[in-house]
Amino acid sequence: MGKVKVFVKDGCHKCPSAKEVGAVLKKEGLEVLYYDMDTVDGLAEASYYGILSTPTLIVEDRDENTLADFRGVVPTPQQIKEVLHR
Amino acid sequence: MGSLSEYRESDVKRRILPDETTDMALFVRTSDEDMSFWNRQRIVDALVKEACVDMAMVEEISKEVQEQIIASKISVITSPLIRELVNARLIEKGLEKARKMHTRLGVPLYDVDQFILHPNKENANVPHGPEATNLTLAENIKKEYALLSVFSQSIGDAHMRGDIHLHDLGFIDRPYCSGQSLEYIKKFGLNLPNALSIAKPAKHPEVLLAHMVKFAAALQSNFAGAIGWDAVNLFFAPYLVDLSDREIKQLAQMLIFEFSQQAVARGGQAIFSDINLYWEVPKHFEDVPAIGPGGKFTGKNYEDYASEAQKFVWALFEIYKEGDGTGRPFFFPKPLVHITEKFFKTDGHEEFLNHICDVAADKGNTYFVFDRGGTAKISECCRLSFKLEDQDLADAKQPWKMRYSALQNVTLNLPRLGYVSDKDDSVLFSKISDLMELAVQAHIEKKLFIEKLLAHGDKSPLSLLTMKKDGVPYLRMHRVTYLIGMLGLNELVHIHTGEELHESKKALKFGLKVISQMDLLSKKLSKKYDMRFVLEQTPAESTAYRFARLDLKYHSPQSGHYVKGDISRGETYYTNSTYFAVSSEMNPIDRVIKEGLFHPRIEAGSLTHVWLGEAKPSKESLANFVIKTFRESLNDQIAFSPEFTNCLSCGKTSRGLKDDCPCCGAKEVEGITRITGYFTKISSWNKGKKGELRDRYRNQGFFGNK
Repeated sequence: MGKVKVFVKDGCHKCPSAKEVGAVLKKEGLEVLYYDMDTVDGLAEASYYGILSTPTLIVEDRDENTLADFRGVVPTPQQIKEVLHR
Repeated sequence: MGSLSEYRESDVKRRILPDETTDMALFVRTSDEDMSFWNRQRIVDALVKEACVDMAMVEEISKEVQEQIIASKISVITSPLIRELVNARLIEKGLEKARKMHTRLGVPLYDVDQFILHPNKENANVPHGPEATNLTLAENIKKEYALLSVFSQSIGDAHMRGDIHLHDLGFIDRPYCSGQSLEYIKKFGLNLPNALSIAKPAKHPEVLLAHMVKFAAALQSNFAGAIGWDAVNLFFAPYLVDLSDREIKQLAQMLIFEFSQQAVARGGQAIFSDINLYWEVPKHFEDVPAIGPGGKFTGKNYEDYASEAQKFVWALFEIYKEGDGTGRPFFFPKPLVHITEKFFKTDGHEEFLNHICDVAADKGNTYFVFDRGGTAKISECCRLSFKLEDQDLADAKQPWKMRYSALQNVTLNLPRLGYVSDKDDSVLFSKISDLMELAVQAHIEKKLFIEKLLAHGDKSPLSLLTMKKDGVPYLRMHRVTYLIGMLGLNELVHIHTGEELHESKKALKFGLKVISQMDLLSKKLSKKYDMRFVLEQTPAESTAYRFARLDLKYHSPQSGHYVKGDISRGETYYTNSTYFAVSSEMNPIDRVIKEGLFHPRIEAGSLTHVWLGEAKPSKESLANFVIKTFRESLNDQIAFSPEFTNCLSCGKTSRGLKDDCPCCGAKEVEGITRITGYFTKISSWNKGKKGELRDRYRNQGFFGNK
């Protein structure tokens, strides 16, 4: 299985929904990592993926190859699972 | 300046103060270029006036110095020597503060000899000549003044040690650089403080050009660095209506030659000028009322002048393509073409992109500035740019208000932090914070100094910047930025992780972490001090060499493993800013994408160089590269840099760096390529840059030749 990286920021209206999607996926056993872009580690990781808007969700395989990204939008948990099962 | 000789003459009438019992018959050559009899009172007056020393102590010191001079039987005496003898006494008596206040700034005889005989290698844009020598001497004194009198001891020491670099100390009494609009002189004419004559707004394009060049020269005398101009082709456009293509090309030729030959600005160097150009009418200028001949509104908006603006920018690049009289690339003005979403929607953009890529491949002049999404920028200097915010876009309705400046640039020596952090993350990040605070302190001190100068209004040495033609000072202090640059991220990452930025994902991520911390800190510090601190990729023409030399001195043997270049030749350097090692054999698109990951963090502008060497790619392959960069990376700006050999014998210019002329075989040749953000002759480069040139990986095979 891969993992999902969720990038959020203070004052971003859609970020709470993105976090909820992350929580659902986590409950289902997926590895979900959260990054706050107001922190050094969060901003550094976001820079690596060239993220300019929040929320952003990056879906990776186990070798950290990016399978899909959702930038500035909130996907459904189902969409993410489809990417991972493709 | 004081002169060198002073002599004892027994037949000179004694001139001794009443309480003196000495046989003083000395003449002192003073800094006022006259010869005075020895007068102890002069020491007394200077100590009281300059160093605030109490009277009893002053009497004591002056008498001691007088006795010393008599006892030494000195035959040559100058006022600087007397001052130093007094200073030695002040030190002996523990009066350190007074000694500092009593300091004399000057240059040793040996140094003056060197300045007069040898070129200044700190700035390759300064030619060697008497005017340049004047500049160098003045710069040296102002540097000393800045370190002694403008900055606090801790800042001065940090600069001297090489923890930080305070840029342009020799221009301490000026802001760093500026960006402006032609609209200012179109509307107000050339009406400068202290001018012998005043010109009304230009009625003809040639006159507007003359005003622009003169204003640029005046600005160069008030700023340390680059003078940038926004949307030059667009703002010229209302003056070009009904002109033939030939006339427009003639004007383009005049503009480029005027700026490239304007070698009288400062120390005989060319004005460091950037012209921002657009193929489309930028969105924020579309519905702005146009100013035309005589400074009058034409009744049309700028969107109505797209055709004239396009003809002019096309002609400018025809001239760049032709090069100067011997086919060499023009060094200045630097053309920065903005590539925007609207660019790709504007008719003729494919042909224009090919046209400017043809120039980039052939001569290397073109800078491609990427304004993605709704971003708009005005660029200047080697890579410095100002992103236009809401207030700026409101100002764009009256473009003469669009004047920007960075007050100072302070660069951090990142590799040094690696040497002292011992691979401990928490130590390293804490030291980065400390150094950022130090840089902020340096900015506060410079700001106070500039504000002090500006406070004199029209009597200020910076009166050009206090003029209020539109009701507010030309230099809008509340809008200035304060730059924090970085140098040698690649070497810091190498020291800390064992790998260079291009060598692993881990190293790249660590580099991003360092710059992210600097970015977040600059925002936090901006709020704290209500000043706008932004990160900049320092061009570091001499700083990369200086930091490397200082680290070899203070952090050997460790630094010897990480400093780049050839230590045995003394050609050492650190990699500029956030660049990857210039020697890494990266695919150029990979370099553009990966270096571009840092660019969103560096608000004041970034650039990636693509070194071409001898290669001369087709315009189509470069155009594809530019489009790919715009679409698939976050890179702010790219430039392609070919290399040339100019023959001093036959005058011909050929491709690549050669030891002799391929046309006539002469050995007297001069290499030309981009040093940092501009082209220049390699012979004028400092040793560090020469070392970097040897290491540069040329992308000779990637694009394929024409």
